[in-house]
Amino acid sequence: MKIVVCIKQVPGSNRVSFDPITHNLVREGMAGRMNPFDENAIEAAVRLREQVGGEVVLLSMGPDATKETLHDGMAMGADSAYLLSSRAFAGSDTLATGYILAQAIRKIGAIDLILFGRQAVDADTGQVGPIVATELDLPQATFAEKIQPLDAQHVVVNRDLGAVTQTVQLTLPAVITVRAEANQPRYESPVAIQQSLTKPLTTWTDQDLTLDASRIGQAGSPTIVRKVYAPEPTTRAAKPLPQDPKEAAKALLDILQAQGLL
Amino acid sequence: MERQWTEPEQMLLRMAAKYTDAELAPYDLEMAHTNRYPDGLVEKLIQTGFLTVMLPTEYGGAGFGPEVTAAMIERIAKGSASVAATLEGHYKSVDAILKYGTDALKKALLPQATHRIFAFGMTESTGGSNPMGIQSTAKRVAGGWLLNGNKVMITNGTLAEVYCVLVKTGEQELSVFVVDNSMPGFSFGKREDFIGLRGTPIGEIFLSDVRVDDDHLLGRVGQGGAIGDHAHDDARILMGAVLSGIMQHALSLAAKYANERTALGTPIGQMQAIQRKLADIKINQETTQLLWERAAYAKAQGQPYSELAAMAKAHGSRAAVAACDDALQVYAGYGYSNDYPLAHLMLDARALEIAEGTVEKMRTAIAQAELKKEEA
Repeated sequence: MKIVVCIKQVPGSNRVSFDPITHNLVREGMAGRMNPFDENAIEAAVRLREQVGGEVVLLSMGPDATKETLHDGMAMGADSAYLLSSRAFAGSDTLATGYILAQAIRKIGAIDLILFGRQAVDADTGQVGPIVATELDLPQATFAEKIQPLDAQHVVVNRDLGAVTQTVQLTLPAVITVRAEANQPRYESPVAIQQSLTKPLTTWTDQDLTLDASRIGQAGSPTIVRKVYAPEPTTRAAKPLPQDPKEAAKALLDILQAQGLL
Repeated sequence: MERQWTEPEQMLLRMAAKYTDAELAPYDLEMAHTNRYPDGLVEKLIQTGFLTVMLPTEYGGAGFGPEVTAAMIERIAKGSASVAATLEGHYKSVDAILKYGTDALKKALLPQATHRIFAFGMTESTGGSNPMGIQSTAKRVAGGWLLNGNKVMITNGTLAEVYCVLVKTGEQELSVFVVDNSMPGFSFGKREDFIGLRGTPIGEIFLSDVRVDDDHLLGRVGQGGAIGDHAHDDARILMGAVLSGIMQHALSLAAKYANERTALGTPIGQMQAIQRKLADIKINQETTQLLWERAAYAKAQGQPYSELAAMAKAHGSRAAVAACDDALQVYAGYGYSNDYPLAHLMLDARALEIAEGTVEKMRTAIAQAELKKEEA
């Protein structure tokens, strides 16, 4: 089974800056880390390879520093990686990003499964996986908590939708986004860390892919960010209630009444 | 001067930090209370590959150098000095076999060092810092040796499966052999009930007519003293790193508490008396870190590092006890309680004024090296 896992480097801390004109996150020079949900997607892919054989290929779009995150992913067990990096990609929103990733996946070719983390923790949209599925016209299952290979052409996926769990059978190739509850991602072993830098990592620019220039970067991004701001830090006071349950209930009632909540 | 790590070294340190914060630090106080590692902790440590860090790639290891290995130990010690000590005991023993083992022994034994814990038994009830006081022996027999004796206070003793042991092969002659816990005549004794490093198993082994082949001798007959000294040197670099990590832990706790705790309407961290303690902890931590880094750098460069390693441990252990005492004082009454980690951090640090050679012996070695430089 040939599995592509799309991963994203996200800011390593909350101290981030934004472009004053485009309001996009400034990624250059930023200490990054792998989007935590993507670790679950890689773990799911590596476990599937351990079960049925095949290979795990990482795919990411971002500046050159994203290579560090791809090396982290290869230290977790992925076999190779592709980085899509070009000034022409700057400013791409989820739609443009999904299109570029889809074109790269077409070029990699012969894919059975495409995995994503359920969403990225920087923008929290969860859109790129479904957009890639739509671009490639593939079946998709979001919020997977369990992926079981059925035969060479099918997988069974348990989708955790909060109130209900849905079990679906997908015909391969397919796109799946993975929840954190799906697994406990492995730590990169010291030996795998050393080996990760010897695994193939290919960089593709916009020139290496077949792309419609009007669908990438700022031009291909209908999303307009009006304003970006850090929320004011809020502090809340805690008030202990009396130990005795009756007194505590009375004190709580007094507070609720004083706040006009009753 | 900030050390520039290579990308794999950065990845190792990131992984160790993540692992320590998630898998070790949450159980550190529990280890101090229960005098043992929680179930599964050692297995996961091995499964994640921590035993392989400094083992050369030809034996299935990751082949990281002494500097980043020590930096990783420091980071682990910030979450659990006990676990850092277990790894230190393993690494120093592997180092000794790497330096002094025959090719055949290395090929047979070192691939096992990826998943079996190694240890070094030197101390006996009659001799620790005085190695000639030991009573364990190896007697020549056809094609090998017969080992008898009792080793105590071994780091990882009762946990480790492979042991380097210092024994007498003559009245004034010390040699080191490697024994396996599966050998007939090998048995475990008691685990110590020490006041610090309570997660780390520190215990004894008995050797009763344990027969080993010739190639289980490390180095030459009579070279045991030098091998023991080298193992101590390697251990003392890592001990410096453990001590620096303990102090980072104590400083982090003390500074957080000093920011949160108020007295007379102000956080106690704004009071000069508290600030002085925080500054002193930081100075003690930084000077210890500089010493172990210097010693690890010298080792990586193939330069002499015995004296630097002794300084890292001699300075670092007293500095760490003082630093933890300062941090305990910042916490005041809570610091003196076993419900909080400060007391156990101080007792962890206190162990290293004794283990791997007492600080008194360190100072003698440092002074002798300096005297020798000025000899006529």
